[in-house]
Amino acid sequence: MTVAIETIGLTKTYGATRAVADLDLEVERGEVFGFLGPNGAGKTTTIRMLLALQRPTAGRARILGLDPIGHDVEIHRRVGYLPGDLELFPRMTGQHHLDRFARARGNVDGTLVADLVDRFQVVLDRPIRELSKGNRQKIGLVMALMHEPELLVLDEPTSGLDPLMQDAFEELVREAAAAGRTVFLSSHELDEVQRLAHRVAIIRAGNLVATDSVEDLRRGTPLKVEIRFRGPVDPAAFASLAGVVVSGADGESVSLEVTGEIGPALEAIAARDPVDLVSRHADLDELFKGYYRGSVGPEAIDAP
Amino acid sequence: MRLDVAQLDLSIRRRSLLWYAGGLSLYTLIVVAIYPALKNSASLDSIATTDPTAAALFGITGSITSPVGWLNANIYANFFPLVMLFLTVGYGAAAMAGQDEDGTLCLVAVLPLRRRAIALQKAGVMLLQASVLAAGVAALVIVGRSFDVDVPASTVISVSVAVALMGVDLGLVAMAVGARTGKRGTAIGVGSAIAAVSYLISSLAPVASWIKPARYVSLFYWSVGNDQLAKGVRPADWGVLIVVGLCAAYAVIIAFRYLDLR
Repeated sequence: MTVAIETIGLTKTYGATRAVADLDLEVERGEVFGFLGPNGAGKTTTIRMLLALQRPTAGRARILGLDPIGHDVEIHRRVGYLPGDLELFPRMTGQHHLDRFARARGNVDGTLVADLVDRFQVVLDRPIRELSKGNRQKIGLVMALMHEPELLVLDEPTSGLDPLMQDAFEELVREAAAAGRTVFLSSHELDEVQRLAHRVAIIRAGNLVATDSVEDLRRGTPLKVEIRFRGPVDPAAFASLAGVVVSGADGESVSLEVTGEIGPALEAIAARDPVDLVSRHADLDELFKGYYRGSVGPEAIDAP
Repeated sequence: MRLDVAQLDLSIRRRSLLWYAGGLSLYTLIVVAIYPALKNSASLDSIATTDPTAAALFGITGSITSPVGWLNANIYANFFPLVMLFLTVGYGAAAMAGQDEDGTLCLVAVLPLRRRAIALQKAGVMLLQASVLAAGVAALVIVGRSFDVDVPASTVISVSVAVALMGVDLGLVAMAVGARTGKRGTAIGVGSAIAAVSYLISSLAPVASWIKPARYVSLFYWSVGNDQLAKGVRPADWGVLIVVGLCAAYAVIIAFRYLDLR
């Protein structure tokens, strides 16, 4: 069994609203998988169905080879979950939370908990209502990790964490992946996903619009080329080239977006006395926004 | 079975339970302690005899100045069930729908426990809270025998348990509604409405003949409304209270199994 998460036609509707529609997803064991989308895209609903917190309207899911419906206890034993809008019991202290939930799980190594508390510098002796969002988030992370789960499902895990703690979190995710664990990472932090995830899925209005590695997704986007010439140039000379769009022009500078072969564009550039050229593919942030603006469309969907 | 969910809820409710139990126990002590000063008051008795309908609205039937009448009029027919229902319906609504609205229920639901076990532990917590409240009242009413409130201890205990069971029954109804809808307000509303109608039916049945046939649907009737403090809790009373409780607990389990958590 090499698949950690598999969904086939997973669908959830609330009345007339389709929160998730025909979602087909496959996450390999041992990979860090980024799950991207803006608020209301269906990320959290998907996660809740994976964890048997909600029942799908249609379709099915398998987590670690098990159907969440009917195997929720076994799945919960092997999965660590950090909710997106983490809420803890306001009058209880962090220590009380960790003790209580460690006892309830029953298979928690106290040394590991102490190590996590130390790494995240968790404040344990004050009631939750007195803690900042970041400190509450750290307690949630320890609760998700304390039983060394095979699969980590983290919904906005670094929300509220300071940069040092974000680094600590990223290190932990890398360690988990190196130890062969699977990490399913739902996030708005595109830089973080770009750094951590082996593959990403982008979900829009409940529909999956792309699944691939970050590099392959970037390769599928237009190459952005910014050129400075020795003198003013007419951008129309580039606009007429196949696969080239002029995205900006200002006297001696021209910005192009090139899809497909770069050769004709380079020949046209070379003929006009260029003095500087910078080219790059879109980063995940631009890619993500592109999907949402529709400039990169569902037709670009890759099979998982 | 590990009882971590029950312990968690008990630790959350500990403070409010102490206030409920402490306040009700103090009230009970005052009621029994002032009985000797009022037990021969003819004017007090005339309240019930001159306007029996108004008296019935407060759960008063018969003589107020007899020990049973005094306890019924001041504790068992109204205030004790009312506080019990505040506790049980409040917890019933909070335990499922309230915690779901707060976002804390999912922390419990992702523990390696069956939802049925979670529901049963919460039902157990409700039973325990109701028992604590009932034990406080029963103990102080029994103490009250030294203040001439002379009612057999076994009757006091059994009626107190019957009130606790009624509270648990209606609390479980609220819990089931909360588990079905995920809405705390709806759970409190439905639980309270059923309790209020139940109280009115049982209270007015002795003085309004057209309501009398409906008294069998009132849980008040099966716990304190059928003269249990004088005649004891009958097997049929226990049967109804227990069967309703079991049905409501089953409804909680089924509703929670299908609840979509936030």
